Amino acid sequence: MTQALDAPAAIGGMNPKRIAADHARVRRRRRRRNELARHCVLALVTFILVAPFYYVFLASLKNATEIFSYPPKLLPIPPYFGNYEKLLWHTGFLRWMFNTLFVAGSVTTLKIFLDSMAGYALAKIEIAGKRAIFMLMLILLMVPIGALIVPLWSLVSSLGLTNTYLALILPPLANPLGAILMRQFILGLPRDLENAARLDGLNEFAIYWRIVLPLIKPGLVVLAVIIFTDQFMSFIWPLIATTSDDLQLLTVGVAALRAHGGANYGLWSASAVMSLVPIGIFFFVLQRQFLARSLAGALKQ
Amino acid sequence: MFLGPMFLCFIVFLVFPVIGTVWWSTRSGSIFGGTQFVGLDNFLQLPGVVGAGSSIQNTLVFALLSVPLILIGALGVALILARIERGGSIYRFLVYFPVLVPGVVAALIWLFLTNVDFGLFNDVIKAFGGLPVTWLGADNALTVLAVLDVWRNVGYWAMFFVAAIIGLPAELYQAAELDGASALARFRYLTLPLLRRIIFFAVIVSTIWGLQVFDTALVLTNGGPGTATTTVIYRVWLYVFASNNKVGFASAISLVLILAILALTLIQMRLLRSRRGID
Repeated sequence: MTQALDAPAAIGGMNPKRIAADHARVRRRRRRRNELARHCVLALVTFILVAPFYYVFLASLKNATEIFSYPPKLLPIPPYFGNYEKLLWHTGFLRWMFNTLFVAGSVTTLKIFLDSMAGYALAKIEIAGKRAIFMLMLILLMVPIGALIVPLWSLVSSLGLTNTYLALILPPLANPLGAILMRQFILGLPRDLENAARLDGLNEFAIYWRIVLPLIKPGLVVLAVIIFTDQFMSFIWPLIATTSDDLQLLTVGVAALRAHGGANYGLWSASAVMSLVPIGIFFFVLQRQFLARSLAGALKQ
Repeated sequence: MFLGPMFLCFIVFLVFPVIGTVWWSTRSGSIFGGTQFVGLDNFLQLPGVVGAGSSIQNTLVFALLSVPLILIGALGVALILARIERGGSIYRFLVYFPVLVPGVVAALIWLFLTNVDFGLFNDVIKAFGGLPVTWLGADNALTVLAVLDVWRNVGYWAMFFVAAIIGLPAELYQAAELDGASALARFRYLTLPLLRRIIFFAVIVSTIWGLQVFDTALVLTNGGPGTATTTVIYRVWLYVFASNNKVGFASAISLVLILAILALTLIQMRLLRSRRGID
């Protein structure tokens, strides 16, 4: 390709073809140079963002004296696994991990159904006061659980739910984001399908279950990712809703490792690394849906 | 019937607690029982209660530091990422990864960066021959906390902006390029004005998130030194569970936070409405 363009250059003169080819070449070169510059900047940014992970991973494979030594070893050879052994067998880490996956999984599953049903109702069914309900959801969308700990705690304890899985699962179900997103999604579906189904004599539930749900599957996956990651990261409510060791979630347990038992950097680094394993795997598998998490906000635009 | 289950949860665990906060804010005593009605006393006394003023100040400073850094950084990354031709997905994966780190874990990681003796930051400074810095000292701790937040959130908003930039009309840019507009001019006179609403949205939402900072402050600095990094929600938590007669103050300060967030939400909704009718 470049050879073919270089050939007329040997002829010389004011050949318009040659000028055009020159321009194209200059532009291409400039484009390549810009692309390279972009890669350099991005590589630097990602290096800065990722370096902390490597540093902690490194620390997790060092014993107590190696962690404190300067200059630091940049490769963990030979690796020391004592921190991981201690974390996995001598703390409640595996139990916390199970609790987090169980609670986040339950909330996600329940919410997928609740939110898609609510979204369907808000989009398609005539209900008295629907507009008002929707506005209320929009207004309260951003109120965080952290600002509600007093009434939530007293509500949950008067229901007798303290130190149960239900205390961890129920309050997050209130978040209206999913219903709002699903409403938007369902509003975008063609009306004909639904009308045809109605003419065929399907009832509302059959329309929802057999027509709407399959159509919004991509949206449901994104919603599942949003809910799951939010639950995976949630901290303040699990912190105050449970006092029993058996019910601690990952974030609460890891914070307790930091708070109790003095400085133990080896254990802390191992717990940081291990905490990121499940979410890292999910992210790797569902990369596109995770990135769409950012766009859920844009969807409202 | 379809709306019912979700709506019930919404009322019981969100609407009801918001109203409950108002009720609790007029009472004095402990969350474990034995409160009495005190009217607006909690609000009147709030400025004088230990820790209330400083927690509000810390939270505002935190948001003012972190939000601009997050959004300028994210916009910069997004402008480059949106134009890259190859390998974008690798960068996207890596830039986004810190977003998925729970606050508690992020704070643990930052303990390793900010440690005076063996932290990564001081290792780098020492490698260049500088003197070690006490990153989590009273002067720096809140700034470090804000930078941690930048590290955690820049990827989220970068992806948000990438999607917005890719959605901009390409013809405008071709026309501008033909007219000889420089990259800077294109950014200043095309990208920025076209993204105005998107950026405004990002400012509001990231500010609302910034006002909620808690877990990183608890794990990284324990709210200290002193009360240097004790934020609003941190203070609420302390009032409720660390002292035994301040549930009213906790609720009053929660209510201030809720009202601030509602105000920001309403500004946002108004802005969206002015663009194209309602929703």
